[in-house]
Amino acid sequence: MLKVAAGDRRAFAWLFDRYHASVARFAFRFVGDRERAEELTQDIFVKLYRNAKAYQPTARFKTFLFRVATNHCLNEVRRGEYRVAHTSSEAPDGEETGGVEMAGPDGDRPDQALAGRELERAVGDALRSMSDRERAAFTMCRFEGMAYRDIAEALEASESAVKSLIHRATLAVARRIEELQAGTVPARSRG
Amino acid sequence: MSCHFEEDLTAYVDGELPAARRVEVEAHLGGCTGCRATEALLRHTVARVAELPDFVPSVNTRRAVLAKLDALPVPWWERLRTLLRPGVLVPSAGLAVAVGLALVVVGPGPEAPEELEDPAVMELAANLELVEDYELLGLDSPEDLEVVASLHELEVAQ
Ligand SMILES: [Zn+2]
Repeated sequence: MLKVAAGDRRAFAWLFDRYHASVARFAFRFVGDRERAEELTQDIFVKLYRNAKAYQPTARFKTFLFRVATNHCLNEVRRGEYRVAHTSSEAPDGEETGGVEMAGPDGDRPDQALAGRELERAVGDALRSMSDRERAAFTMCRFEGMAYRDIAEALEASESAVKSLIHRATLAVARRIEELQAGTVPARSRG
Repeated sequence: MSCHFEEDLTAYVDGELPAARRVEVEAHLGGCTGCRATEALLRHTVARVAELPDFVPSVNTRRAVLAKLDALPVPWWERLRTLLRPGVLVPSAGLAVAVGLALVVVGPGPEAPEELEDPAVMELAANLELVEDYELLGLDSPEDLEVVASLHELEVAQ
């Protein structure tokens, strides 16, 4: 009987391969720092397997995963271990330790008001300025394409609460982008 | 911004409003320039955010996670293996074996067929639950676990 155990471990590895990029993306947008996002991602997957008993087969797995991820990130931020610091605004020039891979063409086309890096900074500033729950809801919605219903489940909130969170967060980002387009944003954010 | 339709506009843009409310908002947009401007702003924002480059995690993350699992007190797959040993297989454990083998055959990549997703997830959860039940037997002391590990070695040697 060849390695049942190996098979089970591969089942976990398979889950990891399938979902870790989503979790890392969420964590990155949540804390705004590459290194800390990766630490959080690792911890979330360790926690995931330790808490697998709490998994309800009625819940979609991704929703369950994001509930674990959200709780973990919210707790870490509350404990003060992870200050939410969007390095794209902390280090506007030169190499950014927490920056994202600039894949594909950035926004240098003349018809675009903001270049990719400035857009990144505007969104980073807005994310930092909002509440933890607004940021979590916005991130799941905009970067993971999750439905409001699933976000509500992940945040253990009502759908109408999620609707408000996403609305306020999207308006905050909209204002920040508008400010930047109007050239009214100082080089350093006001923290 | 004092218009009471305003708070529904992001959900409207996201296609998240119930049909009846969506119709109301659409009708309102025809006559409210403030909401039309806000709607345009929101659509523009959603489109700009979608342009942001994807965050690509480092390739070391996988290795780091598996190392952390290895560093946990006793690897759960070891305990599961021991749990399966007596031959008194809980029905879901039998399924777990099948899924485990299927995964070995199919391979772990994202190319695994869609229908494997839920059974794999559920069986993983079921396995872990068995392991947790096993913990209830009070086998958390190092001595006990060593015995368990040895039993497993004996079994393999058979
Ligand atoms: Zn209006």
